[in-house]
Formats: sequence, C-alpha cells, structure tokens
Amino acid sequence: MSFNLAILTDNWREILDGMALTILIWAAGTAIGLAVGLAVAVVQLFTNRWLAAPLALYVAVMRGTPFLIQLFVIYYGGPFFGLDLTPLTAGIAGLALYGGAYFSEIFRAGFLSVPPGQIEAARMMGIGRLDIVRHVQLPQMLVIILPALANMTVLLSKETAVLSVITVNELTSVIQSIGSTTFAFAETLLFLALVYWAFLEIVTAAARRLEKRVGRFMLRSQS
Amino acid sequence: MFDFNLIIKSLPMLLEASVWTVVYSLTSVAIGFCIGTLMCAAGLSASRLGRGISAFYVSFFRGVPLLVQLLISYYCLPLIGVNVPSSVAAVGTLALCTGAYLAEILRGGFLGISPGLIEAARMVGLSRRQILTRIEVPLAVRLTLPALVNETTMMVKASSLISVVGVLELTRLAQNIATSTFQPLEIYLTAGAIYFVINGAITLLGQLAESRFRLETAR
Amino acid sequence: MTADNATNSRPIIDVRGVWKRFGTAEVLKGIDLAIRKSEVTCIIGPSGSGKSTLLRCIAFLEEYSEGEIYIEGELLGFALEGGKRRRVSDAEVARVRRNVGFVFQQFNLWPHMTALENVAMPLKLARGIAREDAEKRARRMLEKVGLGHRAGAYPSQLSGGQQQRVGIARALAMEPHIMLFDEPTSALDPELVGEVLQVMRDLAAEGMTMAVVTHEMGFAAQVADTVVFIDHGVIAASGSPQQVFRKDENPRLRQFLQNYFERNVFWQGGEDAAS
Ligand SMILES: Nc1ncnc2c1ncn2[C@@H]1O[C@H](COP(=O)(O)OP(=O)(O)O)[C@@H](O)[C@H]1O
Ligand SMILES: [Mg+2]
Repeated sequence: MSFNLAILTDNWREILDGMALTILIWAAGTAIGLAVGLAVAVVQLFTNRWLAAPLALYVAVMRGTPFLIQLFVIYYGGPFFGLDLTPLTAGIAGLALYGGAYFSEIFRAGFLSVPPGQIEAARMMGIGRLDIVRHVQLPQMLVIILPALANMTVLLSKETAVLSVITVNELTSVIQSIGSTTFAFAETLLFLALVYWAFLEIVTAAARRLEKRVGRFMLRSQS
Repeated sequence: MFDFNLIIKSLPMLLEASVWTVVYSLTSVAIGFCIGTLMCAAGLSASRLGRGISAFYVSFFRGVPLLVQLLISYYCLPLIGVNVPSSVAAVGTLALCTGAYLAEILRGGFLGISPGLIEAARMVGLSRRQILTRIEVPLAVRLTLPALVNETTMMVKASSLISVVGVLELTRLAQNIATSTFQPLEIYLTAGAIYFVINGAITLLGQLAESRFRLETAR
Repeated sequence: MTADNATNSRPIIDVRGVWKRFGTAEVLKGIDLAIRKSEVTCIIGPSGSGKSTLLRCIAFLEEYSEGEIYIEGELLGFALEGGKRRRVSDAEVARVRRNVGFVFQQFNLWPHMTALENVAMPLKLARGIAREDAEKRARRMLEKVGLGHRAGAYPSQLSGGQQQRVGIARALAMEPHIMLFDEPTSALDPELVGEVLQVMRDLAAEGMTMAVVTHEMGFAAQVADTVVFIDHGVIAASGSPQQVFRKDENPRLRQFLQNYFERNVFWQGGEDAAS
C-alpha cells in the first residue's frame, strides 16, 4: 500500500468547496438550531401546557431516533407534504431540528438555574415577561450553559458528515467520490479523518478558551 | 394518502431487522465497555505511555465522525489484508467509537471512588486485577449509570450509520423497502418509531437498575 | 539502633529508624517501635503529628522513605541489595503483609456489597476459599462482632458503629497476626463509640496483637500494654499507661493530656486517667 498524495492536490478545488459547504452547513444548522432550541425552551417554560406537551414530544422524538432516519423523513418524506427540498435545505433543516431538541434541553436547564427571586423582583417592578427573559435570565444563564452549548455545537459539526448519505456535496461526500473514482481510498479517507480531527480539536480548544474568558467576566461582574 | 396497510405489511420485516440493530449496538457497547475500561485505567495510571495512548485514542475516536470511521474500516481494512465480513468491521468500529466515550464517562466514575475503598481491598490481599474488576468497575458503573445508559441509546441511534457500509439492519432494510415501494415516509416513520421504542425500553431498564442500585451507592 | 532488647520473643512488628517525607515535608523523623505478640500498643498524639502515617507505613499503604520495617522478621516493601533498597512487587508486598489487618477511621466498607459479602469476598478472592466455607467463616466473624443478624444489610443500612464492626470482622476473617486500628471510633457519633471499643477490648482479651491510634484515653489506660506518644514525627514518650499518663515529665505530653482532659472531663473525679 503506497500513498499517492497527488490525488488530493489534483482535486484541491473540489475539496475546498466541500470544506466550505461543511462549514456553511454547520454554521447554519447550529444558528437555526440555537434559535429553535431557545424558542422551544421559552414556550415550554412560559406558556401553557397545550403548547408545551407537543414540544416535549418533539424533543423526545429527536433525541430518541437516529439523525439519519430524521434526514430520510425530511428529504424523502417531504414531498408527501408538498415539501420538495433540495438535499442541502433538507440537510440544514434536519441538523437544525436535531440540534434544536438538544439545545432546548440545555436552555431549559439554564432558565431553571436562575434564582426565582430575581424574576419576582423584576416582575414587581412591572417588567414584561419577555424582557425579563432577555435582560435578566439570558445573560446570567448563558455563562452557566456555555460549556454544554459548546459541546453540542461540536457534536453537530460531526453530524454534518451524515448529510453525505442524502447526497449533499459536503466534504465527506466529495472525498468519497474522489476515492471511488481513483480507488485511492486510503489517502482520501485518512485525509478526511485528519481534517475532521484537526478541526474538532481546534473548535474544542477555542470553546475552552471562550468558557474561561466568559467565566472570568462572570467572576468580575459579581465582585 | 398515508398508507397504513404498507406499514402493517412491512412491520414484521422491520421488526426482524431491528433485532440486528439491537444485537449490533449492544454488542458494540459491551466490547466498547471493555475497551473503555482499559483505556480509562491506562489514562489514570502512572505510566506515561499508557496515559499517552489513552489520550490519543479518546481524542481520535471522539474527534472523527463515526461515518468517516466506518468508511475507513470498510474501505481500508481490505487494503491492509484484513478481510472480515462488513458487519464485523462495522461492529468493531462502533465499539472503538463508543469505547472512547465510555472511557471518558468511566473516568469520572473512577475518580469518584473514595481511595480508602481501594486501600481496604489492598489490605485484604486483593490483586490489582481483582480490585479493578470487583471494586472499581462495579462502583464506577453504579456512579455513572445514567450516563452509561444514555451512551447506550446513542449507540442504538449511531448503529443506523452502518447501513451506509452495507450492513443489513433496521435502517438498511427500511431503505430497501422505501426504494422498492416508493413510499418512503411511511417506512421511515415506522423505522423511527421502532428506534424510539428500543431507546425508551433501554432508558426504562436503566431507571430500574438505578433504583435497584440506590442502596448500593449511598454512603 | 536495635529495638531487640531484653525480651525473648521476636517482635511481630519491628520499626527501625523510619523516616517518611511527603516532598520536602518530614512527617516521620526516625521512628523506632517494636510490637510483640499479644501486646496492645496505643499511639496517641496531637492531630497532624504523624500517627496515621506511621500506621500506614506499617501497612505499606505509604512507602516509607528511609529505615526498615520488619513484619515477623521479613523486611516490608523492599529488598536490600548491596546496601541499596529496591521496591519489591505488589504481590511480594501483599505476601509479607498478609497477616496484617487494618481498620480504617472511615470504615471503607464496599458500598455495593452486603456486610456478609464484604467479609466473605476477600476470603474467596485472596485466599481462594470455596464460597460456602468463606461465607460460613464470614458469618462466624459477624457473629463475633455482634452483627450476625445484619449479614444481609448493605453498608448504607448500617449505623456507623455497625459499619465499623463489619470493618473489624472483615479484617479478622483473614486471621491476621496483628491488627492495626487508625482512630476506629473518631468518625462515630459518641453513643456508638462504646460498642466498637467493646469489640476491641474482647479482641485484646483474646490475646490479639494490636496497634491502635486513638484519642480514647480511657481505652488506652485500661487496655494498652504500651502507650506511645508521637509529636512532630518523633516518639516523644513511651511506656506503660501509668508511666505515660501519670509520671511523664515531657512538657508537650503534659500539654496534650491537659487539653484532652479539659475537653473531655466535665465532672471532676472522672475515671478516665485512673484505673
Ligand atoms: N499524602 C500526603 N501528602 C502530603 N502530606 C501528607 C500526606 N499525608 C499526610 N500528610 C501530612 O503529614 C502530617 C501527618 O499526618 P497524619 O499522619 O495523618 O497525622 P495524624 O494521623 O497524627 O493526625 C500532616 O501534616 C499531614 O498534612
Ligand atoms: Mg490520623
């Protein structure tokens, strides 16, 4: 078995495109997922249970079933509801819905970690419910839940690879097609693993640093 | 029209395939548990080499998407002369992947064991291995049970990815039926429901075990 | 330097010039101590003076930095090779200390095993005794410490005093030649201290060789053959209870005892130091 690295350099354009798409999917999926998660948590905690119950089911289903099956339902099952999504849209929607379920649990725990006395105090001063969420609860809980959010974001970056199965042209898919046309599986797949590994190590390290900085800010603002 | 008949017709086949899903995922968790225990012990040992290997292992298998790991084992193992059935390679890969997560979970458990319990075991003459298997592992498992159960449900879900390397299990069979009937929604929803039930059952069993162990972890 | 003087029998434990350092901190500074068969040695001293460290060195739960510890004539933990000492294998350590039992301040019962399993499991695993025989012996030991009726209980279902008695039964089941106790009653509620001390008194009466780190001066006065006062890592005084509690001139010891009595005797004419 010998390595022919030219296969990688010959196809650098496709590979770079794949990387860019992977990062785009990750960023879009995470951003929408965070919004979904926050909305779900707020509705679950601060509105009536007729809205909360179906959302609890949504969270349980997304957490209890494989991401791949969720993608299949959205992409292949979408047309049944008149939703003819491109692989890319279906993939990002899937990632956002999947991540949103986990994010909502994190946000929920965060809201519950803010002492109720503070909310009562704000209420007494006539501040509206949503304003309390925005100005009192969110800033405090973000510090506490940041590690969990970062962890989930890192997990989502790995799930982007699954989108290759519904033919999204992200990095894994690009590499696989190069591999199967050149039969240079070892070079291409090991390169792929290294890229993800390096990427995840960097993102994880960045998250750690961010947590430390925010943690310091929290300590200072309390003193 | 949503086709309930198709669901009823294909349910027996899907359930049969889901047995494989359970077998593959539980097997890989069992093997992964042994790997994870060894890697965790190495990571906490005095040996620098052991700690290095453990850190490398955990970082790699948690840092690379499982799908990529599966592709590597599927395409690259034959290149180095390892010709095993794809199901074996897939389960091995699942085991290595979950082993990395289990090592991290167990690490927390091992560190939570009061050192006096180990000293007591040394004083009555238990060997290093006996202490590991009779004291440390049972206690670490009791201390980390919720996380271990959660990791098991994650593996049930992750096992759907081995369909990509051609192993027949629930997801793969669902794909086969979906493409031949052109009615993907019904089939994938059914498959999803089966996964949901499997994981519900695992979670329930975990809660039963937890209440059974409550007496044995209190101090 | 030798501790072998007048008496005929070889000591079961012979500690010779032992030093123990943690980094730069010197915790034991040249300890000499011999414990003979059927003797009860009580080790007293202020907190942080090195009592636990000494006991843990004798059990080789800590590696001593310098000196020698002999258990029934065998050097513990090291082999001497041309004037240099070499750490021996864990299995060899386990062999030399197989006749040493240890009772911990925090009991250290394994929480996932019943009282019976706590006692029987080491017999099965370390001694290779068949399950039935191991359990029979374990039951006998639990009865001996008055807990035959609690054999099936998990540690979390037992009181502190009961847990400590299981701890003693677990050590006794291995048929040790010497029992080391590190403040066995210090983690107990006051009303539970008596039951544990009674078990220890019975053991002493049976002729068990014991080394007991304790703050129970009454127990030391009644049961000990030798009382050893450790201060700042050295043995500052030792002798019979009478010598140590009544006549000793060492000012640090007098201070220590005075503090103790001020804390513990609320009624003048207490029987503590008497007997
Ligand atoms: N593992 C250790 N590392 C560092 N210092 C220790 C350790 N164990 C004990 N010491 C120190 O050694 C001294 C004696 O401790 P110890 O033997 O437990 O005292 P005692 O049992 O007499 O109260 C204390 O100052 C303690 O801080
Ligand atoms: Mg002590």
